[in-house]
Amino acid sequence: MVKLNNGYVPETLEEALSIMRDEKVKPYSGGTDLMLEVGEGASYLFLNKIAELKIIKSDSDYIRIGAQCTFTEIEESDVAPRILKDAMSQLAGPAVRNFGTIGGNIGNGSAKADSALILFVTDSLIRLKSASSERTIYIKDFYKQRKQLDLRDGELIVEVLIPKKYLENYYYKKIGARKALAITRVGFAGLLQEENGVITHVATAFGAIEPIIVRHPEIDEMFIGKTISEARGIKDNYLNLYENAINPSAGRVSKEYRKTVCMNLLKDFLNENGI
Amino acid sequence: MKYIEFKLNGENVQYEGSAKDRLLDILRETYRLTGVKCGCKEGECGACSVIIDGRLANSCMIAMGSIHGSDVMTIEGFSNTERFKVIDKAYGDVSAVQCGFCIPGMVLATECILAVTPHPTEEEIRRGISGNLCRCTGYNSIVKAIGIAAKEGEGLW
Repeated sequence: MVKLNNGYVPETLEEALSIMRDEKVKPYSGGTDLMLEVGEGASYLFLNKIAELKIIKSDSDYIRIGAQCTFTEIEESDVAPRILKDAMSQLAGPAVRNFGTIGGNIGNGSAKADSALILFVTDSLIRLKSASSERTIYIKDFYKQRKQLDLRDGELIVEVLIPKKYLENYYYKKIGARKALAITRVGFAGLLQEENGVITHVATAFGAIEPIIVRHPEIDEMFIGKTISEARGIKDNYLNLYENAINPSAGRVSKEYRKTVCMNLLKDFLNENGI
Repeated sequence: MKYIEFKLNGENVQYEGSAKDRLLDILRETYRLTGVKCGCKEGECGACSVIIDGRLANSCMIAMGSIHGSDVMTIEGFSNTERFKVIDKAYGDVSAVQCGFCIPGMVLATECILAVTPHPTEEEIRRGISGNLCRCTGYNSIVKAIGIAAKEGEGLW
């Protein structure tokens, strides 16, 4: 481990966690969000040289992505799921994708984070580690409020675990003011799985519209066990429930705009699936 | 306490300042590499592009401590290469440069496109420069220049 003036460069996760326990430091991943802040206060803990946090692998149940994997590394990976690669390829521009990391994107706590939207729709888990503890929690429990995460003193985000089920048939659209370097105005991701003509899984997630990424599994459930044509029959009811459930806040664009875009994307997702 | 050690345009250097300092500021003010331009300081324009360990980077978004052990190349270092000469000529031939402010970044983005894809499609070129803003040319001549550089520099990438 190297100690610098105002910074530490650990080579292993163990070293990084000891510093998290013993010193007041700010974890630094890619810097692409952090460097927008004025650099006063705590020293930086540079995590970008820790090889064990840069691994993408697959086990029987999950695709596991190390927190320090950059968006470019995810995009270039043969193991990362297509839905995530698709979202990462539309994030910012090449230079930001080369340095920004999935751990940093989640750790920033924003509902506009494009990788977090995918982790929400796939019901992914976040593995958190400190020098003395380790836990794995659902991403929906990790986000408590805007910029407030269930991250305890001394903990680092070390890995995301994406369940391998239901990833194949996906829908993803990011709406921004331009094609590249765009902050998401509305992000939408949907999954729909059909087996033997019957819908077995539906999940939708809306990003950038409320303080936390929005999921309504209780509404999506109404399609489970139905055929596509039965789903078509209850589509209006489904859309009405979403119309009432979604309550976007105003930001760079108005509430009404965001709401309209959300409903259009939801309809387009259903439409693409024949509903 | 250790100094930050990195390679800058091929030479080993040691930086004695804070690990939290911004690479962009240090390149311009400490090392006097003023081909690295400061446009927005928030990763939105690409004027401060450099190449770190072979990847295009916004130097405004990089803290010095994160490049300990890395290889940093600016337009000053790149301009000594054969590849630069080909890109330089291609940009000149189609008048891809007007005010010039974005050009150091555009040239390094060009290098990063061709290093990965020696024969890029127009779409790959546009995607490769999508983080570099130009307010003069409308991009078409830059895209054309990159296509010409790929042809003229056959074998260099």
